[in-house]
Amino acid sequence: MKDIHFKVNGKNVSVNCAPTKTLLDVLRDEFDLTGSKECCGKGECGSCTVLLDGVSVCSCLVLIGQIHDVSVITVEGIGLTSNMDVVQQAFVDEGATQCGYCTPGLIVSSRSFLDGINHVPTDDEVKTALGGNLCRCTGYTKIMKAVQTAARKQLTMEETTN
Amino acid sequence: MSKQVEETQAYKDKQNLQWVGKPVKRIDGSEKVTGEQKYKTDYNYPNMVWGKVLRAKYPFAKIKSIDTTKAEAHPDVVCVLTHKDIPGFNGFGIVTPDQPVLCENVVRCTGDAVALVGAETLEAAESALELIEVDYEVLDPVTDAEKAMVQGAPKLHPDGNIHSHVSIRNGDIDKGFEEADYIFENTFYSPRQMHAFIETEGGWGMLKPDGSLMIQCPAQYGHRDKLQIARALALNPERIHVYSSPNGGGFGGKDEITVQIHLALLAHNISGRPVKIHLSREESVLAGIKRHPFKVTVKTGATKDGSLVANKVCAIADTGAYASLGGAVTALAIEHASGPYKIPNVDMEGFCVYTNNGIAGAFRGFGVNQVCTGIETHIDMLAEKTGLDPVEIRKKNAYRQGDVSSLGHVVKSSVGTIETLEKAEQCDLWKNRDLYKSQVSEPWKKRGVAIATSFHGVGMGLGSPDYGAATMELLEDGRFKVGVAIEEIGTGNGTVYAQVAAECLKCSLDHIIVVQGDTTKTLDSGTISASRSTYTGGRAIATAAPNMINLLSETAAEILDVPKSEIELANNKLMVAGDESQFVTYKQICEILLDKRKSTRVEGHFYLPKEKEELRNSGGAPHHLYGYMTHVVMVEVDTLTGQTDVLKVVAIPDAGKVLNPQGLEGQSEGGAVMGIGYTLYEDVLIEDGMHKTKNFTDYIIPTIRETPEIVTIPVESNEETGPFGAKGIAEVVMIPIIPAIMAAIHDATGARINRLPATPERIYHAMQATKKPSLISR
Ligand code: FES
Ligand code: FES
Repeated sequence: MKDIHFKVNGKNVSVNCAPTKTLLDVLRDEFDLTGSKECCGKGECGSCTVLLDGVSVCSCLVLIGQIHDVSVITVEGIGLTSNMDVVQQAFVDEGATQCGYCTPGLIVSSRSFLDGINHVPTDDEVKTALGGNLCRCTGYTKIMKAVQTAARKQLTMEETTN
Repeated sequence: MSKQVEETQAYKDKQNLQWVGKPVKRIDGSEKVTGEQKYKTDYNYPNMVWGKVLRAKYPFAKIKSIDTTKAEAHPDVVCVLTHKDIPGFNGFGIVTPDQPVLCENVVRCTGDAVALVGAETLEAAESALELIEVDYEVLDPVTDAEKAMVQGAPKLHPDGNIHSHVSIRNGDIDKGFEEADYIFENTFYSPRQMHAFIETEGGWGMLKPDGSLMIQCPAQYGHRDKLQIARALALNPERIHVYSSPNGGGFGGKDEITVQIHLALLAHNISGRPVKIHLSREESVLAGIKRHPFKVTVKTGATKDGSLVANKVCAIADTGAYASLGGAVTALAIEHASGPYKIPNVDMEGFCVYTNNGIAGAFRGFGVNQVCTGIETHIDMLAEKTGLDPVEIRKKNAYRQGDVSSLGHVVKSSVGTIETLEKAEQCDLWKNRDLYKSQVSEPWKKRGVAIATSFHGVGMGLGSPDYGAATMELLEDGRFKVGVAIEEIGTGNGTVYAQVAAECLKCSLDHIIVVQGDTTKTLDSGTISASRSTYTGGRAIATAAPNMINLLSETAAEILDVPKSEIELANNKLMVAGDESQFVTYKQICEILLDKRKSTRVEGHFYLPKEKEELRNSGGAPHHLYGYMTHVVMVEVDTLTGQTDVLKVVAIPDAGKVLNPQGLEGQSEGGAVMGIGYTLYEDVLIEDGMHKTKNFTDYIIPTIRETPEIVTIPVESNEETGPFGAKGIAEVVMIPIIPAIMAAIHDATGARINRLPATPERIYHAMQATKKPSLISR
């Protein structure tokens, strides 16, 4: 057992657990942040995606001992129903979620992708960015549109604030 | 009187629709995109116990003894359970309960459950599994369905290995082939596709202080699960409460019992503590049901003018160790094996056979995916032979409403095949196919464009109960709580239910709350399968609505002191006809009803229409209703490697009236991509009864990178009996795309594929085989 201090969605937290526990399990079991899902446990599906210091990673592959002093953002940290992020709103508007089990991971990956660009991405760019997130329901078409819609909205928002 | 009639027929009104057919967003969208939606395994309860299942070590073996002493002695183990601990009937299965809850004498596949462990931690549960000693006498597994059928093959079940046999005959098959100018005969093999829902099977079980049992588990028919649990545990089903919505994907894979009975058994042995089981992906691959691999031999006869005159089909389905819905899958396959055509002479039969290859069961498409390839490929071969247009041949042979189908029955419900084919002919991809085909991305790649059409029954067919039921309750805040048991598995049926309810009641959408998949709050309304949930749930709501309108109008009349006949539904209120100043709100009505201690809840019940007579030995054919669909696809094949990409898809469904365009497109796009996976990549490999496929590392489903451009052009045939004219969509969307891709590969390369998935290796070899020997360079 070990004390590990880190940040989750902006808040300082600490846990005392075996350092071999995965970050995903800690988020779900200790903090009740159940938006991140385990689907494969192997880094294949992306449904557990979170941001570690701004970089998107599969939290099923990260051991809690590795993230001392790191800042973690989960889907809940991107937005809740009361304050949805543009990308979340775009997923709802475009119908990009069906069963929704893959959706939190896709939201985190999309947010991280959009943070790094300031143009409306092409289909190919979105495909490269989200290639690590499996979805069995949607056929991805509306996901692609949602990311582009969000990018467009984000640009207009930036323009109006500048 | 006339008013009453109008009210009960409200679902037929296609004029002035406010919600139905409109681009309404999902009512549960926000919770899904924020991660706030709780799936069953997202709950946490204090003082919990972890449940684990010991699976069989061999695909086929006798159990000589099971010794649990060491496992029980583990300090963190709460209980270890075997077949001896099952109070009721040790079996489950939707149709034939031939699958043991916990095996006693024999194991028949490596997904079989032998023992259960409840422990303080997951790690303890896992190590306890290793401490259970099972003494097996290993038997040779039966791994080939055809060999399993012969006399002398080791019997997996007391009645032998043929679980079911169905056949449909119509006309005179020999005469048909005599009339034929061309005869095509080929054998097609299909893969063991995995549902690959992103949420694996899992959930919670808890015995409540009052002795009732709570099961929280994603599932496709909670009310039926209740009965299966009750049978195994010898419980009163009324004391079992199943919470089965939402699901993180189902596609048929959660229609059968997954972990519910195991949860129930554990819950009964841990003194009221909550127990959780959540399968890892590896365990889900091993124990979960799959799509039946089929071997289908098809012989089709046609005349020079392009008329199909005979079709003979023999299909063998590998159901694995247990029946589940295998018999029904085989029956539906045979019902659909001659396509949506009017072939006068058919002779089709199917066998559902036990082997030691895992377990197969319900999966989107339900057998039609496996058989549509034969007839559609043969039509393309006919087009090639005769020089006739493949679309024209299909139009010529397709039945219309009122025609006699290949099965010999008059099709009374709506049929959109011809319209879907016409739309296909007019679509950009088909019209400009030569141009698109010339735009290859590399000189060594070739493109092909092709078309295919198919259909799929809506509802359960003859011989199975098929009903819908809805409740509608006026709440104190003036909203309506609409209860339909049919679960949310991703399709967005809840949103459609809200639309139908709001439309019938003439209120706004935010006045509707939908409850699904909760046996304590909803009436049994059948399963979420068979493309039935929009049709069935929609009609049930449309049947409940007039009762609610009646209750509202009666009360409003009383309050406003006018005869009931003068009361009119207006937006979110009831008013005196022609006088907007005189109105009452739903809230006021509820207050009055509660004051008078009157119920504010009504019900609506509905039976799906059925055909009068079942075709002998058909296992449930014909259906009353079918959805129809045509796909046009473009592929690009790398001639050096066989690597194939689907680049464009035009999806043209006839699902009747579209109630929610975004939802329909979502089904169409998801179905197309799942169909691409089926045709090109997916197969769970089992050798000698052992799974070679373990996780998404070696089971490849399409990612966003493999996603083509998909355009959906619905054809809205009007189904008289449907809610606002709707039928069903969820399965047909992945069917014609399969033969369409196969035909497009042929169009590109000249190679015919008869074994799916069409992997690069298979396509490469098929391409080589088309070359004249002298041209093959070595
Ligand atoms: S659960 Fe982490 S990648 Fe699949
Ligand atoms: S929405 Fe179901 S897996 Fe993506």
